[in-house]
Amino acid sequence: MLSEKKAKRVAPIAATVVGIVLVCLLWVLVSAKPNPSDNADSPLLGQPAPAVVTTTLEDKPFDLARRKGSWVVLNFFNSTCVPCRIEHPLLLTFVQNQLSTDNPAEMYTVINDDNDSAVLAFFAENKGDWQKIRDNDGTIAVAFGVAKVPETWIIDPNGYVRLRIAGQLSEGLLDEQMSILKVQFGS
Amino acid sequence: MAAIASALLIFGGLRDSGPRSQQDRIDAITMRLACPTCQGESVYVSRASAAEAIRAEVARQVGSGLRTDDETIAYIEQRFGSQVLLLPRSSGIDSLVWALPIAALICGAAALGVAFRKWRTADDGAVSAEDSALVNAAMASKNVTDSNS
Repeated sequence: MLSEKKAKRVAPIAATVVGIVLVCLLWVLVSAKPNPSDNADSPLLGQPAPAVVTTTLEDKPFDLARRKGSWVVLNFFNSTCVPCRIEHPLLLTFVQNQLSTDNPAEMYTVINDDNDSAVLAFFAENKGDWQKIRDNDGTIAVAFGVAKVPETWIIDPNGYVRLRIAGQLSEGLLDEQMSILKVQFGS
Repeated sequence: MAAIASALLIFGGLRDSGPRSQQDRIDAITMRLACPTCQGESVYVSRASAAEAIRAEVARQVGSGLRTDDETIAYIEQRFGSQVLLLPRSSGIDSLVWALPIAALICGAAALGVAFRKWRTADDGAVSAEDSALVNAAMASKNVTDSNS
């Protein structure tokens, strides 16, 4: 019959088309490369940093806008977060290394969903004499889109967001990225 | 009477329910946002710290009265990405989520329609010569059997 003949003609064509689509999908999956960069994407990169107006653990006022002229590193931290605790020695090394550079970066810990006494106890035990700033209601975390700690952000001397590192730092990463950024955007 | 009653019901169902309180707005916005650290929970129901921080930010923005609901959601989306939206946007690449199922439905219905039409045209009730010959042969053999008995 005519319809059977037509079906016999259409079936191989349909099967070929489906096969080609499947092969294309497979090729996309096989050829996809993971992002080699340690840096996380954010719509804030290259944009002016969100306003950060808060207080430090010493009850001194802190306004990010007043830190222009310096490279600023914001490390979102919680004393009960294991990756935060693990990366802490790397932050100590970074701050130490920065002292020997032109225009050393300023480090700030942004306290995320934690209480003052726990943070003070952690830093008393593990060192780190930089400023710790409060984010009691999560305003700063939301402004930067931080859902999980740790996260580390770098703001350039003009107040623009230049880098976001989501998750635990790897050894030397922050020093390396800061050097690149200083060359790229001027120290 | 039935038409009037239906019209009134539709009107009553669709009309604006009046001004909303700030809490109504906060609830409505947070119901449209996904908790960024949970699976399948809205910011409205989640007790995760990230969700609580977003709720506080939404409350602050609603309280300030400077942003509409959509603008507040856009602010959160700009920070956390489009995965924070429980309902995908209806513009850009996200609109495919809405368009593709509808397109698939229309294509499926069209394909079924074409197939049904073909089947009906092919089976127009006319008896083919081949079938007639088979029936005639069967009838003839039945008649022979009947006459013999």
